[in-house]
Amino acid sequence: MSLALTAYGMVGGLPALAPTENPTADFSDTPLWLALVKAVGVFVYLLISTLLVIWFERRVIGRMQQRPGPNRNGPFGLLQTLADGMKAMLKEDITPAKAEKVIYTLAPMITATMAFVAFAIIPLGGTVWMFGHQTPLQVTDVPVAVLLVLAVASVGVYGIILAGWSSGSTYPLLGGLRSTAQVISYEIAMGLSLVAIFLYSGSMSTSAIVSAQSSLWYILPAFFSFAVYLITMVGETNRLPFDLAEGEGELTGGFHTEYSSMRFAMFFLGEYVNMFTVSALATTLFLGGWQAPPFISAINDNMFGGGWWGLLWFTAKLWLFMFIFVWLRGSLPRVRYDQFMRFGWKFLIPITLAWVVAVAFIRGAQLGFLGDSKLTFAGRELSVATVVIVSIVAVIALAAAWIWDDRRAQRAAAEDEAPPEEIDPFEDGYPVPPLPGQRLVEPRPRLAAEPVLSTASSSSAGGSGASTTLKEETHG
Amino acid sequence: MTSSAEAAGFWILAPIAVIAALGLLFARKAVHAALGVALVMVILGIFYIMQNADFLGVVQVFVYTGAVMMLFLFVLMLVGVDSSDSVVETIKGQRWASLLLVVGLAGLLFFTIGATVVDEKTVQAGIDKVVATNADPGNITGVAELIFGQYVWIFEVTSALLITAALGAMVLAHRERLTPRITQAEWAAKRVRDNRDVAGLPAPGVYARHNAVDTPALLPDGTPSSKSVSRVLVARDQVATTDSLRDVERHMEREIEEGGAK
Amino acid sequence: MTAAVLPALSNLSTLPAAFQASEVNYVAVMPLFIVFVTALIGVLVEAFMPRERRHRVQVSVAVGGLLAAAVSIFWASSNLGLTMGLSDGSTNRSLFALAIDGPALFLQGAILLMGILGVLTMAERFGGVGPDAFTPSGASTPGSPVETAATRAGALTSEVFPLTVFAIFGMMLFPTTNDLIGMFVALEVLSLPLYILTGLARRRRLLSQEASLKYFLLGAFSSAFFLFGTALLYGYAGSVYFGDLSSAISTAPLAMNGLLLPGAFLVFVGLLFKVGAVPFHAWTPDVYQGAPTPVTGFMAACTKAAAFGAILRLAYVGLDTARWEWSNALVIVALLTMVVGSVLSVTQTDMKRLLAYSSIAHAGFILVGVLAFDRTGVGAVLFYIVAYGFSTIAAFAIVSLVRQNGAEATHLSQWAGLGKAHPVAASAFAFLMLAFAGIPLTSGFVSKFAVFSAAVGSGATGTVLAVVGVLCSAITVFVYARVIVLMFFSEAPAEKVEVVTPSAMTTFSIAIGTLTTLALGVVPASLLDLADRASQFVR
Repeated sequence: MSLALTAYGMVGGLPALAPTENPTADFSDTPLWLALVKAVGVFVYLLISTLLVIWFERRVIGRMQQRPGPNRNGPFGLLQTLADGMKAMLKEDITPAKAEKVIYTLAPMITATMAFVAFAIIPLGGTVWMFGHQTPLQVTDVPVAVLLVLAVASVGVYGIILAGWSSGSTYPLLGGLRSTAQVISYEIAMGLSLVAIFLYSGSMSTSAIVSAQSSLWYILPAFFSFAVYLITMVGETNRLPFDLAEGEGELTGGFHTEYSSMRFAMFFLGEYVNMFTVSALATTLFLGGWQAPPFISAINDNMFGGGWWGLLWFTAKLWLFMFIFVWLRGSLPRVRYDQFMRFGWKFLIPITLAWVVAVAFIRGAQLGFLGDSKLTFAGRELSVATVVIVSIVAVIALAAAWIWDDRRAQRAAAEDEAPPEEIDPFEDGYPVPPLPGQRLVEPRPRLAAEPVLSTASSSSAGGSGASTTLKEETHG
Repeated sequence: MTSSAEAAGFWILAPIAVIAALGLLFARKAVHAALGVALVMVILGIFYIMQNADFLGVVQVFVYTGAVMMLFLFVLMLVGVDSSDSVVETIKGQRWASLLLVVGLAGLLFFTIGATVVDEKTVQAGIDKVVATNADPGNITGVAELIFGQYVWIFEVTSALLITAALGAMVLAHRERLTPRITQAEWAAKRVRDNRDVAGLPAPGVYARHNAVDTPALLPDGTPSSKSVSRVLVARDQVATTDSLRDVERHMEREIEEGGAK
Repeated sequence: MTAAVLPALSNLSTLPAAFQASEVNYVAVMPLFIVFVTALIGVLVEAFMPRERRHRVQVSVAVGGLLAAAVSIFWASSNLGLTMGLSDGSTNRSLFALAIDGPALFLQGAILLMGILGVLTMAERFGGVGPDAFTPSGASTPGSPVETAATRAGALTSEVFPLTVFAIFGMMLFPTTNDLIGMFVALEVLSLPLYILTGLARRRRLLSQEASLKYFLLGAFSSAFFLFGTALLYGYAGSVYFGDLSSAISTAPLAMNGLLLPGAFLVFVGLLFKVGAVPFHAWTPDVYQGAPTPVTGFMAACTKAAAFGAILRLAYVGLDTARWEWSNALVIVALLTMVVGSVLSVTQTDMKRLLAYSSIAHAGFILVGVLAFDRTGVGAVLFYIVAYGFSTIAAFAIVSLVRQNGAEATHLSQWAGLGKAHPVAASAFAFLMLAFAGIPLTSGFVSKFAVFSAAVGSGATGTVLAVVGVLCSAITVFVYARVIVLMFFSEAPAEKVEVVTPSAMTTFSIAIGTLTTLALGVVPASLLDLADRASQFVR
């Protein structure tokens, strides 16, 4: 059903390829000092959001686990995070004797700063008036903005791996390697899932992608990318159910086992800011960024859509993703490392590749590379090539799903073999307890082959066997 | 031709890049050397972006810093390569001869290339062209048009290289499983059948002050059990001694006995 | 500083305004396509074919594909010209990646035919399940129980066939590319499979792995030189195409020469490494000795052909106008190569190392032909490559048959008296030795005569080179004569050395190699004529 709906959207509702891939945001009226002001603004926005989200997470998880969560400091316990932060700052800062001092200090800085850098290209709103200048609510934008986020994230991983290595201890090293492998592996699938967006919008610039979504959010035509992105963004940020690097049972705290005080707090901060970054990217790429939701945008010629209103919608969508993060943490157990890696490499990456190829064909058809003939269906003019391609993709997807489901059913059937109706309670000379409902057969005495004892033993054992069966049945 | 901002950026970053590159040669720890290279890659990416090659710059950081150097670090950390390289010269005088040749070659290249004068107009024409391309079809589209147009053959041939690399990795590193995998249940059955370590190997010793994997457990007679520590640690001679633990234990036993006698 | 605008630099207009697809002449590139597809099929066979049938299928796919490609060269030869690129209308330049011309197609054909012989010798099983020369499990530690278990379980390394075909693809591409980037990619495509193949010997695996690592490290190093040179030449000409490079040299101001000379030298270093010219030869003996013997034969014949093709194109098309600047350096390299190769081959006691030094000496002789700088020189070089290649493959195939206790007996003392016990193999080998020495009635004589006469015809320097070449040939005659004397006139060692009976495939390659050597010595005219007709480069 959703597939049909999406196909409809893909066939009809998309605007033509944007004339240029360059950003649509106009920074010509933005002096340098204003850019700096905006940068500071984003920094503060992120810091406050982090303080809030930690409280939010603890409260929501508390609610999910039927307990109150922090509620002592400030109204609703809102100041709890602040208190925790102060505590972290005032704690003793320990550097292990075997640590590489410089890199040990450098690692948390890399993680924290790189987390903030990526947010610079996220559009928080449309064009606004700020101190007498008309400027987009975005620190900067470049033609390769989304790639920049990925690049910065890949540099941020250095913080993790260096923290693990420089601690001079085994658990952090293993945790660091694990989480680095995890982040890199999931970054591949993440990058591939974004390709579909690039194909649809014809640009990698965030502002251009947002303005290309004015009529249709990409969560519909690129629904599969959205699903993959949602999974990979959890893997990328080392969050439950994918927080294997911190598997307490195996690795104590993972890469930050040896860290304490402010340096630990920086990792903590980096992790949460990273969550905001990937969520903001998801908002920008799939949910129309700062644009107002469909029905609200219809009110009075989009009166709630422009200017500073964008910040509200953006923040709301951002927090939706944060809630998903918390929800996942509250409801899912941690997966096993090998299963996690197998899922990433053997399932997500190949299937995302196939999806990218499918989207490339769909876009090619929409842009008229595969023929120009049109047909009219239900009052709308559709391109034949698009319909054909979408149908082929749908058929292939359905066939694959059907085959996969069939195989799974076969495997399941092979696995739960029905237990035999009768079992020998003394199979191979060992006592074997019956399953509920199972009948016990006559235990054949070892010397049954000998003719002298055969009649007597069989008659007596027959009686006991029958009684046992009866007993089992009453129990079952 | 060069804007002052670009010049400033260059003169700040270039020395850092050179120092980081020298770090590759002179760093004592392999990880530090790798970090130096990662830094060089990042700075190169920034240079590309400063020269209006946005896509190239970001991809440089993404691929080289994010993937290639990260894999290097991985291997370095997993294998534990260190600066313990042999510095014995197998050929006498090789070091000095090679130093001489290196300095000679470097000097030659430095002076010949350094003496080159590049025509400013042509350089400016090139920059203008890039700026114009960035404005009209766009930077990424420009790159794409080159890759899939003029250079499509080379681009496709590179796939042969990648396939070869994958095949080579499989040949040199992948061990085909020739026998069926022994499951946990089969191991258990085998232990019972052989009647050796039926309950599994003993766990390492757990004491009040030591519970690391290198501390052997004590048998009832007080001797350490060699089975309780990994044989890798035994081979590396990294097993902790239990003498002190045994002394403590004896001491405690004596105290208990004395307490019982009272 | 001259204000004159460099013509090549000013049309840095490699950025098309709108998308322009490459023009492709599919018939002309058909041989390359077929070989590439063959390699891909080989990879798929490796993935999906059950192990018992893999060897047979892989060999048939490889040989069939190579044969088809060789046949398709006939059609390609009527489609000469530049292809795989576009012409820039505004500046009237042709930006094509491939030059399908006489030398390119001649070398492609030679590489294909020699490659088929190479694949056939690699396929030798001696009754085992997999190729005999290659380890059944490349990933196992040499001498480990895993290796033994793999052997017992019937594991085989049939990946060597797709790898070989990939190498052949790179080799065919190497002399065909018309630009520096393409040449670099081709260099890597041909080298990478060879690095892997070198490390897969079944016996003396540590030696093989060491050879592989050495080859890889030095090869990567020389590739870096090549790349550095490419960057400098690009800076000089503003283009990577040989045509642009050539025209830029004749028009560029002198102030830019600081980029041209180092660039040219560094690029040549990368290419001379591949042919094993002194002083870039240090890898040759170790790699030839450590690699599985059929791979050594294949590598010696085909890599040399490909690399000399690339050197020819660079010297005759790309950097021809700057010849006076770099030819003296190449003359010195040629002299050194001939002298060092032939003198050091005297002291060798291992057959594969001896052949390695002999190949270095031969590289020097071929360089003499390259330095003739005219069409007869090109024709002579092309002829030499074919003559030497066929002899070499056959020689290494025979080396792989001489065994002691199942392992190859490569020490010279083990070859003593071989002529009495195994006259056929020993005579064939002796004949090939005579060809290497350049005795009349063998292809070696004709090819040496061709290159030296071309050199003498080119002027005083060429004459000096030819004289030194003849003297070095005389030295090598001593070496080969010693081997022949050893085989026929000395006592066999105490421990028995045998010549195992090969399958039809190896017999076929040895026979073809030896007969070609004979035929080219007796009736060389047709191939000389073909090489001469194929000696014209397109620009």
